[in-house]
Amino acid sequence: MKNYDLIIVGAGMTGLRAAIEAVKHDLNVAVISKVHPMRSHSVVASGGLNAALPKKLNSDSTDQHYIDTMECGYNASEHDALNIFVEEAPKKIKELERWGCLFSREKDSSIAVRKMGVSTYPRTIYSSDKTGHALMSTLYEQCVRLRQNKPDKLRFYNEWFVQKLLVSNKTVAGVIAWDIATGNMEVFSAKAVIWATGGSGRIYASSSSSLGSSGWALSVPMHAGVALRDMEYIQFHPTQLSGSHILISEAARGEGGYLLNLKKERFLSTYKDTKDNLELSPRDAISRNIMREILAGRGFDASCVHLDLRHLGSRKIKKQLPGIRELCKTYAGLDPIRQKIPVTPGQHYTIGGIATNEKAETNIEGFFAAGECACNGIHGSNRMGGNSLMETLVFGDIAAKSAVKHIKHRYQKLPNKQFYENFLEDENNKVRKILALNKNPEEKKETTVIQRSIAIIKSRSHQKNNDENKIRVVDIREKMQATMDEHVGIYRDGMGLVEAAQIIKGLKNDFEHNLIVDGKDSRANYGLIEAFELKGSLDIADVIIQAASKRKESIGVHFRNDFPVFKGRPKYSLIVLRKNRLRLRYFPVKTKINPLKTLFGESNLLKP
Amino acid sequence: MKQKTYKIKVFRFDPQIHTKHEFETYHVPKKSVKTMMDALLYIRDHFDSTLAFRSSCLQGRCGSCIMHINGKYSLACETAIRNGQNIVRPMAQLEIIKDLMVDMDPFWAKYELIKPYLVRHSGDSAQTYANRKEMDAMVDCILCGACYSACMMTGMNPEFHGPAAYVVLNRFLKDERDSIHDQRMELIKGENGVFRCHSMYNCNHACPKNVKPSENILEIKKNIC
Repeated sequence: MKNYDLIIVGAGMTGLRAAIEAVKHDLNVAVISKVHPMRSHSVVASGGLNAALPKKLNSDSTDQHYIDTMECGYNASEHDALNIFVEEAPKKIKELERWGCLFSREKDSSIAVRKMGVSTYPRTIYSSDKTGHALMSTLYEQCVRLRQNKPDKLRFYNEWFVQKLLVSNKTVAGVIAWDIATGNMEVFSAKAVIWATGGSGRIYASSSSSLGSSGWALSVPMHAGVALRDMEYIQFHPTQLSGSHILISEAARGEGGYLLNLKKERFLSTYKDTKDNLELSPRDAISRNIMREILAGRGFDASCVHLDLRHLGSRKIKKQLPGIRELCKTYAGLDPIRQKIPVTPGQHYTIGGIATNEKAETNIEGFFAAGECACNGIHGSNRMGGNSLMETLVFGDIAAKSAVKHIKHRYQKLPNKQFYENFLEDENNKVRKILALNKNPEEKKETTVIQRSIAIIKSRSHQKNNDENKIRVVDIREKMQATMDEHVGIYRDGMGLVEAAQIIKGLKNDFEHNLIVDGKDSRANYGLIEAFELKGSLDIADVIIQAASKRKESIGVHFRNDFPVFKGRPKYSLIVLRKNRLRLRYFPVKTKINPLKTLFGESNLLKP
Repeated sequence: MKQKTYKIKVFRFDPQIHTKHEFETYHVPKKSVKTMMDALLYIRDHFDSTLAFRSSCLQGRCGSCIMHINGKYSLACETAIRNGQNIVRPMAQLEIIKDLMVDMDPFWAKYELIKPYLVRHSGDSAQTYANRKEMDAMVDCILCGACYSACMMTGMNPEFHGPAAYVVLNRFLKDERDSIHDQRMELIKGENGVFRCHSMYNCNHACPKNVKPSENILEIKKNIC
């Protein structure tokens, strides 16, 4: 058993930012991550991060940042959290600047900003179109520095898979995780835990997320009794490279790219909700309108529209959007300087997540969450481009501060050793159970190394397993992803959601009874990890479907064909798993702007 | 007849069971895959889920899936499969955990040795435009480790820092805000330092992001002389 004061699960931007803050307070901190920090999904972020910095040419202010975010989220953002967010944002830029982050700069050496969707002024700070990589480098560098200064205070467990969150008496007690390379399972006791695991995009086939964003990391706290909020809000990004689902950053439109249909029209001008801001409208509206064009037969190959950057000129593309050019060349074999990019909307961001307040606290004592895996309501019902990277920094920091406060003032005695050992045994059994489904009785008797070796070579059959009842992870995963894209995508309706719920139920049954996983142990067994992650995906898919079917209205990214209107005050959904049943309740959002007056008027009334 | 599958030979080795590695051949349907990563994921999904390799972003940004493909260190997720035979091996100079998964710890340990962080002069002065521009070539390094494995010297001398560490080092040496320039130079002057590099340019050839570590190392050498 390993004992720590604070455990941070996830080493993306949120996790590293929280670690930096926590180590300052002289705590024993462990950061557990499924991949090396520099391999996390945060490095892929490209567009930039929002902060209202006073500039010579504009009068941007934190108030304006607040109003823009509120309007983009259809006035369904939480006032308290959003207020803290916009106020903290400029301080975070200053901090990164002090740590030596390589932002792009103007000729006068001030930090460069670009305009992203919906913002009144250019306020997105960037590093060409590889912002995530620049930020992660800086944060990881600082972690290395802290570790060299205080070697015994900060410990990284890279490539460890967290399997359970331990909660005793509504208070957090630690986690159980295993080393992916050795398969060795360990109990980590902790006085506080910060969850910073990112999104759950891979539930959808059209996702631009990393493979690790499977939903497992949300299902773990859910099974420990943590409440999830607004899970029906799944953001679809308008521009993914058609076919490979690789994201073409909003920076492309921010720099001035056009969206064109088959008739070479900038079709966004023909829709009510995008006619004013065109390519810089909110993401949900653009995604819906692209789908409408495609459904109306004005798309290319009935699957995509074109993003045109050619008029920006070779110099601007090379300087501001080199990453996008690289991606287009590698994955579509085209050069955006001379050719148009085929794009299609796809899953991008999980707005919902672990329900937290503005202090990153959850319904479990000592358990904190921040970043994409958490939902404190700042995004409302539609996230503004550039806010998510800033969110990781602001609330990663706040989560660490809250955790420190909890450890110093409120922390109670941890449970006894027996408590931990029981759970460890349970989790080991779960691994054995999944692997045992593949075991033949006679193979159990092997003892010698040679016999084991022969058995493993035998098990590497090149053909699909002939046993008809047995199903592989991929069969369930592909069916689930297709179902989610079809029924719980940009447009949703009651019938489709009922169907999706039934399919997922069937898949869960298949998972329990017919799944086979190769291999005899958990040593570097990614097949085993995929099986666990699939289970998490199915659980979270179920939650998303339930939340989407209960919310009988259309707001932001949640668009119901059968209830296309939004009425009344914004509310948020809260889902808790109790006695193996999901329980959903609604609560009013604490917002300050009159919710009936929305920027985009009656746009929701339009039908596809 | 037109071939409907790609033929992929994959390095398989489990140090706890086998004494020698072997190559296993898989036939992956052409219509399901484009890149080598697609093929490896297809093998894991459909043929053998115990095949160990790392993967994360699938768009050539994170550096997880660096391996030796058809004679060159490449990111599997941005390498197209070719007709005929494809051969996939793990990275060299690093211990194999299983199959294509190697232990990257020595690589990261050397990255940390060169103090990869900014130690500022007093005050919070901003970086100038010109200084930032000098670093454009280095920011693309995703620390995948291709150069480290390609480098002959890291193989022969375990103390040698390796090309990636020097790219990061050069970024900090160039940074006008940094105050421990001399201390950094001291770290790499010794017998196992930067002059262990024999300018074989393997790192330049291997780099999937075109960062040119050799040029960075030459700059550091000039800096010392």
